[in-house]
Amino acid sequence: MTRSDIETAERLGRKRARMWPVLAFLFVAQQGAYFSIPADDAARAVDHVRVGAWVVLSAVLLLILATGGFWRHSKAVRALLNDEVSRAHRAEAMSLGFIVSMVFALVLYATVGLEAVSVRQAIHIIVSMGIVTALIRFAMLERRALGDG
Amino acid sequence: MGDVLINALRDYRDARGWTQADLAEIVGVSRKTINTVENGIFVPSTVIALKLAAAFGVSVEELFSLEG
Repeated sequence: MTRSDIETAERLGRKRARMWPVLAFLFVAQQGAYFSIPADDAARAVDHVRVGAWVVLSAVLLLILATGGFWRHSKAVRALLNDEVSRAHRAEAMSLGFIVSMVFALVLYATVGLEAVSVRQAIHIIVSMGIVTALIRFAMLERRALGDG
Repeated sequence: MGDVLINALRDYRDARGWTQADLAEIVGVSRKTINTVENGIFVPSTVIALKLAAAFGVSVEELFSLEG
């Protein structure tokens, strides 16, 4: 582990703390496109693409959250990026994401008779809220640790 | 369990004229780890505590203690 590895990890760590809230915002912004799909037009090819895009984006964000990202960098740099502090932050962020997902699941379950929400939309909301919450919480904790916030 | 861990990391580091990055390189952790431990934001594992103590050539008890 060299000084260069530490400096690279520091730079990438700051970039990650800045970028993840942006990713969360873009992810939320994309939801508008999904929920604008009229129920009676749900079988159009373009809508399948939208749904597929959301699934892929969700999976990628989940993978980034679980691993810390920056897969193309050296093992030493990734080890520094996923040090004890980051692992603790990730655990806290994912725990909060899980709780928020469960709260949304309970709300959707309780209001199922009041509001017409399809199974796909319900899953979409539950997964999205969990991912967005975890991304933002992780970024907040990292920024504080880096002395940025 | 409201125990608060206090540390003398900054004192030892300053005494040696090391920056956080210097200490991070010696211990083999990120500067963020040093920063969070030093400021009491993060309670390090036993492994990191031992590495920090070894870097300064002191015991863990000299570096870390419980408040009160």
